[in-house]
Amino acid sequence: MQRFLDPAVLAGISSLDLLAKTVVDGFVAGLHRSPDFGFSQEFAEYRAYTPGDDLRHVDWNLFARTERCYLKRYRGETNSQLTVLLDASNSMRYTSGPPIKMDYARFIAAALFYLAIRNQRDAAGLIVFDDEVREYIRPSTRPGQLARLFAGLEQAMPHARTDFAKPLKHFQSSLHRRGIAIVISDFYEDPETIVQNIAPLRFHGNEVILFHILDPQEIRPVLKGSAILVDLETDQKIEVVPEYAKTRYRAKIDAHVEQLRTRTRAAGMDYQLLVTDQPLDLALREYLTLRQAGN
Amino acid sequence: MGFLAPWFLVGLAALGVPVFVHLLKRHVTTPRPVSSLMFFERGTQSSTRHRRLKYLLLFALRSALVLLAVLAFANPFVRRAANDAGGRLLLIVLDNSFSMRAGSRFADAKKQALATLAAKPHGEKAQIMVLGGQFEILSQPTADDTKLRAALESIQPGDGHADFGEMGRAMRTLADTVRVPNDLHLFSDMQRTAMPANFADVVLPANATLTLHPVGQVPAPPNWTIESVEAPSQLSDPKDLKRSRVRAVVAGFGTPAATKSVSLVVNGKTIATRKVNVPAGGRATVEFAPLDLGYGFNRCAVRVEGSDAFPADDARVFTVRRSDPERVLFVHAASDTRSSTYFGAALEAGTQNAFVMQSMPQEETSDIDPSRFAFVVLSDTAALPSIFEHTLAQYVAKGGSVLIALGAGAAHHTPIPLWGAEVRDAHNYARTGNAASMGQVDFGYPALEQAQPERDNGGWAEVKVFYAALVDPEHARVVARLADGTPLLFDKQLGEGHVVLFASGLENLTNDLPLHPVFVAFVDHAARYLSGDERLSGSKLVDSFVQLRSTTEPVGTVANVEVIDPRGQRPLSLSEARMAQTIRLAHAGFYQIRLANGRDTLIGVNPDSRESNLEPLPKDLQQLWSGSASGGGTQTAGTISNEANYRPLSLWWYVMLLALVTAFAEIAVAGRYMGTQREAL
Repeated sequence: MQRFLDPAVLAGISSLDLLAKTVVDGFVAGLHRSPDFGFSQEFAEYRAYTPGDDLRHVDWNLFARTERCYLKRYRGETNSQLTVLLDASNSMRYTSGPPIKMDYARFIAAALFYLAIRNQRDAAGLIVFDDEVREYIRPSTRPGQLARLFAGLEQAMPHARTDFAKPLKHFQSSLHRRGIAIVISDFYEDPETIVQNIAPLRFHGNEVILFHILDPQEIRPVLKGSAILVDLETDQKIEVVPEYAKTRYRAKIDAHVEQLRTRTRAAGMDYQLLVTDQPLDLALREYLTLRQAGN
Repeated sequence: MGFLAPWFLVGLAALGVPVFVHLLKRHVTTPRPVSSLMFFERGTQSSTRHRRLKYLLLFALRSALVLLAVLAFANPFVRRAANDAGGRLLLIVLDNSFSMRAGSRFADAKKQALATLAAKPHGEKAQIMVLGGQFEILSQPTADDTKLRAALESIQPGDGHADFGEMGRAMRTLADTVRVPNDLHLFSDMQRTAMPANFADVVLPANATLTLHPVGQVPAPPNWTIESVEAPSQLSDPKDLKRSRVRAVVAGFGTPAATKSVSLVVNGKTIATRKVNVPAGGRATVEFAPLDLGYGFNRCAVRVEGSDAFPADDARVFTVRRSDPERVLFVHAASDTRSSTYFGAALEAGTQNAFVMQSMPQEETSDIDPSRFAFVVLSDTAALPSIFEHTLAQYVAKGGSVLIALGAGAAHHTPIPLWGAEVRDAHNYARTGNAASMGQVDFGYPALEQAQPERDNGGWAEVKVFYAALVDPEHARVVARLADGTPLLFDKQLGEGHVVLFASGLENLTNDLPLHPVFVAFVDHAARYLSGDERLSGSKLVDSFVQLRSTTEPVGTVANVEVIDPRGQRPLSLSEARMAQTIRLAHAGFYQIRLANGRDTLIGVNPDSRESNLEPLPKDLQQLWSGSASGGGTQTAGTISNEANYRPLSLWWYVMLLALVTAFAEIAVAGRYMGTQREAL
């Protein structure tokens, strides 16, 4: 099934629905776990009683046997709420080979929506943004939500520049329930600014994951000769020599990724670098792990 | 240094193309998109300089390629000294014409030529040529002094007539193949008579420089000579004073008035001597009559006595054949009695009894051997006895000749004996009342020969033809036609002999030719032509040709010819004796020839009388000639202009080779550069 998770193969599938189903079914089959994992009431742990605890949760059978008062804890029955913030700026159009970064981000979002709604019964919503909020689909579990989300993804065309401040402010204002927020972007911004804009999401108890989408050529660029490079967002042009791309650029991008990882984790967020030639299961696994840990 | 085609240098304007491409036109590269330039920095100066250096190399190569291509078309050359091997060609032309026998002219000329050859720079090529009679090239261009000297030493004085016009034509022809500059050195007595009437004939090609080396005394010494001799080639009756006489013209060139003794020498014996007064630089005629000669060929000469500057031209030779009158067989139809009468009378009157006609009807010819007759006449013969026709065909094949006159009965017996064709039709002009007149007459044909025909078509204009057979000429030569174009007189060669066909009759019924004086001349000339006497004796000039065998005869089917020249040598090899059609009479004296048809002949050969005039070309004319050959400058012996010391050496090959190397380098450099661009994109 790994073959179906290869981004190059997925790029040939036009339907996001089919794509998400292919990815998620293949991913779930590989887990060797029940697809209902974490859904029904399930014992989680015992905890010593402290004054003020609800007596309904005391395990009286245990008290009868041991004369000690313990509270029996279960996994929550309430569904989680998934919100994907998708960066649709011009820089997401870049590619050195199929798929383009934007498509790769769409695949991840579609697979997450499918996994959340169909498998986990979670509410899922979408915010597409660049320097403005282009699309907002409120998280919901209503029938047809998945189709709306897929339609929102289909319509998300990259343009303009990235600005994290405005869309995140909009997200905070519309957030009423705690849940999981996943930001999918290439994060061409100062890590400090990124964390500064995203960190407030954590204040409402949200779990925040940053999926950093990069093309292999953006990590290890190869230039055979001097070339004129054009910034997709600003149209600025500069002449670059191969020696620079081979040495200093790599050091800079590595430092950027490392700084982003360090700062986001320091701010209590998860960070995952996703290269467009990697399978999508890495992103799905990250989501499920976080959901399990948070609930 | 210069350019052979400098106008191609206009192509240097093409140098602007690489200048525009490399310096004026901005280099266009397709920009490469990236997500962000956040982590990129501009390339350093050192890298840019490296790339521009590569551009400059390409620019330099392309500019050099254009420059070299233009230079190659302009064909640059450098001047190199001409004394290197193969630079110039030295042409030594030695005149060995008959006049060079006078005094020490030939020896002096040869000595000067050898000296010129010895002074030639070592390694320079030279060529030896001979002017006299025919212009001959004795050696190929070579730097081998031994060969050149041997070729020059082998030249002996000849008997021919020099013609500077022929030398000019030969040099112009040579210039088409030999492009290198020529230094032409002419060693000659520079006779005025060797110069053609048209000066353009002697103009040499542009690459030739003429240097004249005149020899002989100036002014020319006085010289008496026998300019011409008029004598019969054949004599049957020595007492016939009309024919039995020799008339010679004595000419003096640069001579004072003098009384000269002129002798007639026959077979080595002086049989008569006459005194004649020759005016200063003029001519006088002397006559010897009658000729008392023995039977057979007689070697005769007319000699002017007394010493002068050029004794070799004091005598003029000729041959006279003394024989009994030859018999002519006249075959006619039984009913035709007039033609023999007219023809016999004309033959007797025209040939002064040189021929005796034997007339007989065609039915009586069965036992006749034609070979005993000088020629045969068939007049209006319907059907010859087959045995006679057969022997007659053999007779013609071996060299005999037949005159056929078709007569009034031609239309009734269409096959023409011996001729191999039929009478197609007949024109009976008498019926229409308008007799046909003569149209075209070939006066160059021996039987119709007239040196200066009168305006009345040489006497033929008044001849009226009432009846003429219509015969297809096919391979025969038509020598006379009627006014309406009907062929009247044909000549066809069969084997070694000739058949002459007259499409009308020899009587006065079919035409009135026998009634006109021109008939006598026609019969006389035709008889001599058909009998072959004209070829058997008499005199000719040096360098004229004698036909040895029929041109139509297949090679190898007849006997060898035999030629003995005046020196007693056989000039023809065995193979040439079997195959040669003609022979050139190269030497003065008596040629003894046995022709392919078995008949013997003796011919006296004399040098061209113009060779006796030793007067040289005027100095100004010599200077004009040598000046015209060197492009305007006057050349004298021993001086060669500075321009001639150099010759252009074309650098075309070197430039093209360099251009080729540059082109490959440009391809390699441009390929590397463009290849890098493609990969980067």
